[in-house]
Amino acid sequence: MSLALAGVGLTYANGFAALDGISLRADQGECIALIGPSGAGKTSLLSLLATAMAPSVGEVAVLAATPAGLGAAALKKLRRRIGTVYQAPPIPGRQRVVTAVLAGRLGQWPLWQGIASLFYPLDVPGARRVLARVDLADKLFARCDELSGGQLQRVGIARVLYQQADLILADEPVSALDPALALATVRLLVDEAKSRGATLVASLHAVDLALSCFSRIVGIKAGQIAFDRPAGEVSEAMLSELYASEGQELPMLATEPRFSPPAVATDVVTRTAC
Amino acid sequence: MSISTPRRLALKGALACALASAVSFPAFAEDAVLRVSAIPDEAPTELQRKFAPLGKYLEAQTGIKVVFTPVSDYAAVVESLASKKIDLAWLGGFTFIQAKIRTNGTAIPIVQREEDARFTSRFITADASIKALSDLKGKTFAFGAPSSTSGSLMPRFFLLQAGLNPEKDFKNVAFSGAHDATVAFVAAGKADAGVLNASVWDKLVEQKKVDPDKVRVFATTPPYFDYNWTVRGDLDPVLIRKLTDAFLKLDPANPEHKEILALQRAAKFIPTKKENYDGIEKAAHAAGLLK
Amino acid sequence: MNPADRDPAARRRLFGFLAALAILWPLFRMAEVKPGALFDAANLKVIGHFLGAFLPPETGAEFLAYLARATLETLAIASAGMALAGLLAVPLAYLASAAGREKPALNPLTRSLLTVLRGIPELVWALLFVRVFGLGPAAGVLALGLTYGGMLAKVYAEILESADAAPARALRLNGASRPLAILYGLLPQVAKELVSYTVYRWECAIRASVVMGFVGAGGLGQLMDQAMKMLNGGEAASILLTFMLLVFAADGLSGWLRRALDRPPAKRASPFGWRSLGLLVALPGVVLASFYFLGIGFGELFSLEAARSIGEFVAGFLSPDLSAEWLGKVAKGSLETLAISLVGTLFAAIGGLLLALPPWRAPFSFLLNSLRSVPELVWATITALAVGLGPFAGALALALHTTGVLGRLYAEALANVPAAPGRALRLCGVPGSLAFLYGTLPGAAPQLIAYTLYRWEMNIRMAAILGFVGAGGLGQLLYFELSLFHHAQASTVIVAMLLLSIAVDQASAWLRQRMR
Repeated sequence: MSLALAGVGLTYANGFAALDGISLRADQGECIALIGPSGAGKTSLLSLLATAMAPSVGEVAVLAATPAGLGAAALKKLRRRIGTVYQAPPIPGRQRVVTAVLAGRLGQWPLWQGIASLFYPLDVPGARRVLARVDLADKLFARCDELSGGQLQRVGIARVLYQQADLILADEPVSALDPALALATVRLLVDEAKSRGATLVASLHAVDLALSCFSRIVGIKAGQIAFDRPAGEVSEAMLSELYASEGQELPMLATEPRFSPPAVATDVVTRTAC
Repeated sequence: MSISTPRRLALKGALACALASAVSFPAFAEDAVLRVSAIPDEAPTELQRKFAPLGKYLEAQTGIKVVFTPVSDYAAVVESLASKKIDLAWLGGFTFIQAKIRTNGTAIPIVQREEDARFTSRFITADASIKALSDLKGKTFAFGAPSSTSGSLMPRFFLLQAGLNPEKDFKNVAFSGAHDATVAFVAAGKADAGVLNASVWDKLVEQKKVDPDKVRVFATTPPYFDYNWTVRGDLDPVLIRKLTDAFLKLDPANPEHKEILALQRAAKFIPTKKENYDGIEKAAHAAGLLK
Repeated sequence: MNPADRDPAARRRLFGFLAALAILWPLFRMAEVKPGALFDAANLKVIGHFLGAFLPPETGAEFLAYLARATLETLAIASAGMALAGLLAVPLAYLASAAGREKPALNPLTRSLLTVLRGIPELVWALLFVRVFGLGPAAGVLALGLTYGGMLAKVYAEILESADAAPARALRLNGASRPLAILYGLLPQVAKELVSYTVYRWECAIRASVVMGFVGAGGLGQLMDQAMKMLNGGEAASILLTFMLLVFAADGLSGWLRRALDRPPAKRASPFGWRSLGLLVALPGVVLASFYFLGIGFGELFSLEAARSIGEFVAGFLSPDLSAEWLGKVAKGSLETLAISLVGTLFAAIGGLLLALPPWRAPFSFLLNSLRSVPELVWATITALAVGLGPFAGALALALHTTGVLGRLYAEALANVPAAPGRALRLCGVPGSLAFLYGTLPGAAPQLIAYTLYRWEMNIRMAAILGFVGAGGLGQLLYFELSLFHHAQASTVIVAMLLLSIAVDQASAWLRQRMR
């Protein structure tokens, strides 16, 4: 059993209840798509699975461990096995693609190796292999701020491929990609999970993508599970019910601003003076 | 896009007011004051303390208000004398030469202390391994101010004669700025050895401001002419006469005078003349301090 | 290994690393870096003794009277200097700025005048004015007025330009003149920024006037110079405390003014409340009192006599000594100064980064502020005791002060970096140190590098004068030669200082470009 949520609720400090009474189980190797309108709680659910947050009520077990009860070292060990693809790839613009990809295994490398790799990338062939799978091998030594938004998102995916996680979480992994590439990329994630027997949980905005690539679909609305069905059993009615508040059938790709430039006073000269 | 005429006038007016208010606070009236300064060979506070009774005495003798301006830079005293910002100055032998040159020979030395005719400098150290000048090789050394006679020029001249070039043979050369500061440098170990004027050294020992067991004298220079009181050349000759007489009249037998003389560390004042300082000028050339 | 898998940047990196090593190693040697000296028993005793004498601070009545006078003098120099700077800056900013013009046109003549005014550090001005006008506050006031006038004018002009131009443009189109369009259309937007920058500069002026005291321009600096030279710990402690109080008070005043500007105006016809009226009365009062207190007769300063002595003085500088022997000495001094500035800045970058990292900020902010509030020249007198006279003392002094400055800026920059990359790495089990190196640092690096390099540009100027207190380099040469009226030699040194600063500015600009 790969993950198990039992009666989980999550209430933020400002009183907003993001999740309420969620129970969900998945076996190792399962591929699940989370769908639902914006603000339904998909990202919050993924954060719980990523051990970024602890539930307010209920229990979360990930990869046969309960993160809430773990010490720092054990938690680190668990987190090594969880890889996350983010909607906005969390990669510094000045980093080179090769470094950004190799960073996926920093949790497994000893400290010295991580530091040494800053001076000379230690596993260039490995990085090249995963980049080839997202069709970016030619950008191996490029700087991330030279890439387009879609390319950068694929670098984020390559990093998770390189990490070889047992649980792959993906939060809108293809929102910056054009439809053809989006389809190919989601397939890649699913294939990767299947070939290594890893579990995949992805939240997707585009419903058609979810239905065509994933075997199990979980619809989320207002912090609760609206339905949890095999892809073939999801009906038009269920979908229109799910998206009723948005007034649209199949939500299209949405891109959010990825990087806000650091808001530091600009006049460095005067700030360093005196 | 032009400023209308009335507004321009108003602006001008405001500017004029601002300037006028800035200009209308000049320092002191020009004539009725004798402006005095001294090279800061000791802490300025000490100089002021030393000068107070002498200033009162000179005021009484000349009938002119005496104002003492303490400064912390030797060269500025010379410069001020040359630009007529001060009338009377206590100068060292070398600063007098500099003043003579800066004023094209018009500065007049009027009196010196009896002691200044046979002045010496003392080399001091707190380092047991330093016993003679030759032991100074490779040590850090503190002079006073660069243009001090007894704290820089003459010791340098005699060091050169002894075959020691401060810039080459010492590990590091520091300029403490003043004689008492040199003692502080050496006592604290900031410099391995230093040199200062004999008169200040004796005073510090007398006042127990230095521990002679810790800091000791290991060499003394041959005697030379040092300090004097100098006036700028275009001062009223009558006033110059009055000032000179006032100094010469100071009599150790008079208790009031005795206090003044004690503070100046003088047995009495004697007349002096430019030629007394020719030897220093030669030494300055030889030591490379005059070009 | 597959040749395609070879890192193409490796050769360049290795070369850069070796080049840096080849440049830095001799400079480290030149700066006589020997950390062992810090722990030398004799030195420890000396510094311990001196610092021990800090307690209790001197409180004798006579000394306190001097201290009070010097404090007033410092405040007066800063205020009078700022008044002069303001007088210069307002018209210059008006001329130089494109704000409120119908066609944005820069005035290149004014702009280049500003560059010259700012380009020569206030200390060099002070040094020259001290020689021309004699010792005392006049030199400090003039030096501050000129450099800060240039700085204020440049920043005023830029602040005006950065405001939304539409309101002013609308007023111009309705027939308002440019000054009125600026007053009604731009000033309301930027008043707060202008005032807070001016107050900030005034705070800087207080620090600067203290430093200028070291070259004889009066005020607390002169007193501090004396106390430090005499190794009088008690006096030094009192002066330092006074100085820090002064700086913190200036900080508080500036904060109060900024908060006052934030408050919405009261509902009444007159825009002036008791606060602004009070300020309107107090400001000219303070300025006039400053000039009166300092006894500066500007009539005297701008007289024929003064013009003649400036002329003579400048003439003395027009024929620098270019003999091989002297040039050799100056070259050695320049290298030493360069070494001091580089080593000092490097140490400060490391120290600043270490102090900027801990998440619990309060004690570190306090430490950084304390480091920053002690001027380099004061640090130099202390480090000279700790490691002995010489360039290492200078480098350490620079490092201590700059650590305070950079640490604060670094902390701000790091706090402003997007947190996501670091957090994402920690969520896949990466240890905190590596998450910082891979996730946070690359985001902050351009800022950190820019801060460090700009600071290096300031430090080369400071290193050039640290020699005044025995820290080697060009400063010691300049002090010595100026004392002896060797104007030809001093002139060579000043030229070398200017060339060195220009060279460092260029190098820093190039590095900033390269490391973006």
